[in-house]
Amino acid sequence: MSTGQEQLQDYMRLPAEVLYREELEALRKEDTGKIPAGWQMSPRAVLTFIAGGKAGKKVITPKYIGNTRLIEMAVATLVTDRALLLIGEPGTAKSWLSENLAAAIYGNSGLVVQGTAGTSEEHVRYSWNYAMLLANGPTPEALVKSPIMRAMEDGGIARFEEISRCASEVQDALISILSEKTISVPELGKEAGARKGFSIIATANTRDRGVNEMSAALKRRFNIIVLPAPSDIETELSIVKKRVAEIASSYELQAAVPADDALLKVVTIFRELRSGMTLDKKEKVKTPAGVISTAEAISLLTNSMALAASFGTGELTDGDLAAGLQGAIVKDDDKDKLVWREYLDNVMKKKGTEWRGLYQACKEMNE
Amino acid sequence: MNAPAAAGVRIFGVRHLSPGGARHLLDYLDEHRPTAVLIEGPSDASGEIPHLTKGKARPPVAILAFTDQLPVRTVLWPFAVYSPEFQAMKWAKDHGAAVSFIDLPSSVTLGLQDVMNRGKAGGPAAVPETGLQDEPDSAELMDEESIYSRIARAAGEHDYDMYWERNYEHNGSTGAYQAAILAFSSQMRELGEDKELREQPSEYAYNALREAYMRRQILKAIAEGHEPDRVVVVCGAYHASALAAPLAPMNDNELAALPSRSTKLTLMPYSYYKLSTMSGYGAGNAAPHYFQMMWEAMSAGKPEELPHRYLSAVAGHVRTGGTYRSTAEVIEAVRLAESLAALHGGSAPTLRDLRDAAQTLLGHGDLAAIAEPLARVDVGTAIGYLPEGVSQTPIQDDLNRLLKQYKLEKYKTAVATDLQLDLRENRRVSSTEAAFLDLSRSVLFHRLSLLGIAFAQSRPSGQSGATWAEHWVIRWSPEIEIQVVESTLLGETVEVAAAYVLREKLQECKSIADASVLIRIACECAMTAQMEEGTRVLQNLAALSRDVAGMAAAARELSLIISFGDIRRVDTAPLIPLLEELFRRGCLFLLDASGCNDEAASAMLTAMNELNVISLEHSDNLEDGLWLQELQQLAERDDRNPRLSGYACAILLERGTISSGELAAEVSRRLSPGIPADLGAGWFEGLSMRGHYGLLSRMSLWEQLNDYINALDDEQFKRALVFLRRAFGTFSPREKTMISELLGELWGVNSEQAAEVLTGELKEEESKMLDELNDFDFGDF
Repeated sequence: MSTGQEQLQDYMRLPAEVLYREELEALRKEDTGKIPAGWQMSPRAVLTFIAGGKAGKKVITPKYIGNTRLIEMAVATLVTDRALLLIGEPGTAKSWLSENLAAAIYGNSGLVVQGTAGTSEEHVRYSWNYAMLLANGPTPEALVKSPIMRAMEDGGIARFEEISRCASEVQDALISILSEKTISVPELGKEAGARKGFSIIATANTRDRGVNEMSAALKRRFNIIVLPAPSDIETELSIVKKRVAEIASSYELQAAVPADDALLKVVTIFRELRSGMTLDKKEKVKTPAGVISTAEAISLLTNSMALAASFGTGELTDGDLAAGLQGAIVKDDDKDKLVWREYLDNVMKKKGTEWRGLYQACKEMNE
Repeated sequence: MNAPAAAGVRIFGVRHLSPGGARHLLDYLDEHRPTAVLIEGPSDASGEIPHLTKGKARPPVAILAFTDQLPVRTVLWPFAVYSPEFQAMKWAKDHGAAVSFIDLPSSVTLGLQDVMNRGKAGGPAAVPETGLQDEPDSAELMDEESIYSRIARAAGEHDYDMYWERNYEHNGSTGAYQAAILAFSSQMRELGEDKELREQPSEYAYNALREAYMRRQILKAIAEGHEPDRVVVVCGAYHASALAAPLAPMNDNELAALPSRSTKLTLMPYSYYKLSTMSGYGAGNAAPHYFQMMWEAMSAGKPEELPHRYLSAVAGHVRTGGTYRSTAEVIEAVRLAESLAALHGGSAPTLRDLRDAAQTLLGHGDLAAIAEPLARVDVGTAIGYLPEGVSQTPIQDDLNRLLKQYKLEKYKTAVATDLQLDLRENRRVSSTEAAFLDLSRSVLFHRLSLLGIAFAQSRPSGQSGATWAEHWVIRWSPEIEIQVVESTLLGETVEVAAAYVLREKLQECKSIADASVLIRIACECAMTAQMEEGTRVLQNLAALSRDVAGMAAAARELSLIISFGDIRRVDTAPLIPLLEELFRRGCLFLLDASGCNDEAASAMLTAMNELNVISLEHSDNLEDGLWLQELQQLAERDDRNPRLSGYACAILLERGTISSGELAAEVSRRLSPGIPADLGAGWFEGLSMRGHYGLLSRMSLWEQLNDYINALDDEQFKRALVFLRRAFGTFSPREKTMISELLGELWGVNSEQAAEVLTGELKEEESKMLDELNDFDFGDF
């Protein structure tokens, strides 16, 4: 903890409030709106931070591209001190949006409960430092607060990632926290009440293995917003382009950022496989069993760039892309392999000369 | 003093269908207390205003103008309760002020439309166009649309509707509203006018004409003695600046020179659904029921309660749909909507804010879950009502009278309702009319559908052949009222109009099948005269025809009418001779028509089946012997289509005119070794289409088939497969198992083993063999 700026570079991934520190500062400086209690900036400024725009002279890059209305609804939800639940298929930027919202509103996106099948109620409420508990009995010092409890005491925003992966009983620990806005600690005979500004942003998957149904009582305590897959190819292209460039620079990949036509090809393939038909809606396409999200497209491209940088010339070749596509689309199933082969022969082969190189490379890879 | 504005006339620009506009207009009228209220609307319809404002009339209603000659053109002016125009009329009535419409008369509007349509595409526009078209048609001016969305974006809103609602409907001050809307529309006009002049000169000229005429009417009102500053003109904001500009009014010569078509006017109930789907009418109409709620909240002086009412209503519909949503969620939805509005600096949530809040809280993020409740609250199912005696066309009157007489008025709703009719006499009631109420209803529905009035749609009855039961789905919509009005040219009453249409159709009828269908329709519509005429037409057509399939179909129609006609209380005796004639001709030409290829044979199969059914049903009237005799011939002949010969044999077998011995002989003749596969197997296919159990019980038949197939060489066997496959395709799985058991017995396999082989999956070599069949050349079939 005795470190300065220089060590920040050593982290694989920086939290949003650090990554976009300058933008946040500019927004706070230029903010003229009314700031709700416990917030760092006005709702309008939060909206600008996520959707992009300008703060004075500083250009604010868009963090969530596509549907501004959804961001408005998310911000408006948090203004009314309701908890927010972001639902969507894997890879629809739920966590990304929740992290950026927490960073803008509270200035700290780090109070996170990461939901898994092993998450217990202690992770949601509090637990004890057992050595101290045995030595001194229940004391405030022996109390280990959960991120949610800390957010309550600080009037901040806690994030609950992948809430639907926790067991239902653990999820339901949130019910009384959300309605009464307190966590009682009977061992100490006291209650931790939430300060103004406290809220929870949870994310949940709808379509995946290993998710638990959420109880109606819990759902009722959230404002639920469904994040869709990008609605058109331009939106998806710009999302992929922006994120690939950001990731490449943070990983210092020694490869050129992929050319626009490579991006276009990958996004086209992904959209066609996801929607089950070609972009011109003339042909039906079989969809693979796995999830083919925008996030997958981004990691595929960075993956291919890493391949090109480490084992190639640094230029992204069709072979690198093909390797990435093979890995992303044919995940575990032999059936996916057939789906991919069918797509190659029925759709990609007919796409014309620009696609010829990629087609050959994919074909070889899938043999 | 040429310009109305110079005279000091007060002009109030509004947007049609705007509760905010209506509210402010009322305040304005109360403040200035005019002696004359002039409203943008067809000036020849001024006489309808008292009917519209009559106590019992309930909007939405519309003024409908239609040409009284073909081709029928219609034009509509709809009014909702929150239309500023409608409220102005009511105000004038309550305060004793003179009120009239000042736009071009409907005759000129339709005349001009004819001219414009001719100029545009050469073809007449099929759809009735809407009146009061001030904002540009979205289809015509795509880039105007983008101006609207640019305005919305500049104001930080997501669409133009949100912008409008936030800035105009929620505007609380009358003066500010009037000034804002005037400034906005005159700027829009400046932006668009040049372009319109360049690209749509006719549209531009049309607007100029209307405005000149309106100026003329305003001056006329002043000449009639109204103080200029006590005249209020209510018009679309788009025209407000032009009416105020110092431009010359239209003079008499100019008016006389305008094209004109003779028109009639009528009033009709309208529906919110129709109001919401109308194109080219600008915003403010997408959610009529929502705007009605807004109007009601404003009238009660509590516009701030609208979000509560709206979201409670949505939650109510969600609950009725069986999904529970708590009051707490409604409260949170209101808070979210208000918070969304605050994010845009608005004073109250717009419809979009409310919808999004409903989706998040009441739909749990899922729009599909609340789409129907939203539609019910946004659009609503309301339809208007006009009291009796209000000006209507004779056929509208007649229909309303009939609906009342047959107790159908309650079905006059925009929500589809099911109605099951039982045409049989109801013996539990005293009067004849009540006893046959359902029959009368059925006749009316059939007549309406003959007229193309889609009030009642027939659904196939669940029980086949249940001619006494009819299932109708009834739904009223404004289009139906228009269809009724259009039928006024065909006749004064529903019955006369229907008879006219049927006669026209009979005269154009060219085929036997069509004629028989028309006879059935005449019977359903209880029009005896037309039924007899249809009989004549059919007879003439049949006399020249040799088309057995057509005659059989027609005969079947007639036979149904004859068998069940008495349930409709129609005398069907005159049809019997015609049925006899058709049947006889069908029999006589059977042999001839059976020399056909396999494609035509399918139609012949249907025909044979129908003729057989008829001969059984009407055995007292028809020569059954002739039919059997012809079948016998067909069954014996070798030069006809083998499938049809086989089928004839099957019918005879079923009728019991062939003995087992004869059948065995015939089978062995047809399936003797050396007979080509298409003849032998094709005949068997025909034979196996009827009476499966009869065949299954004849072991000898299967022995012979087995021998025949064994005798075929490989090539012939593959050809035979086609027919055999088709033949066995008509058997049910159970019957197929029985066949395989029979064959198993023949081959000395026990039945369990056979079943195992048959139900198990294909082995690799077997599927390979099947694949090879794909390459087989069936070119000569």
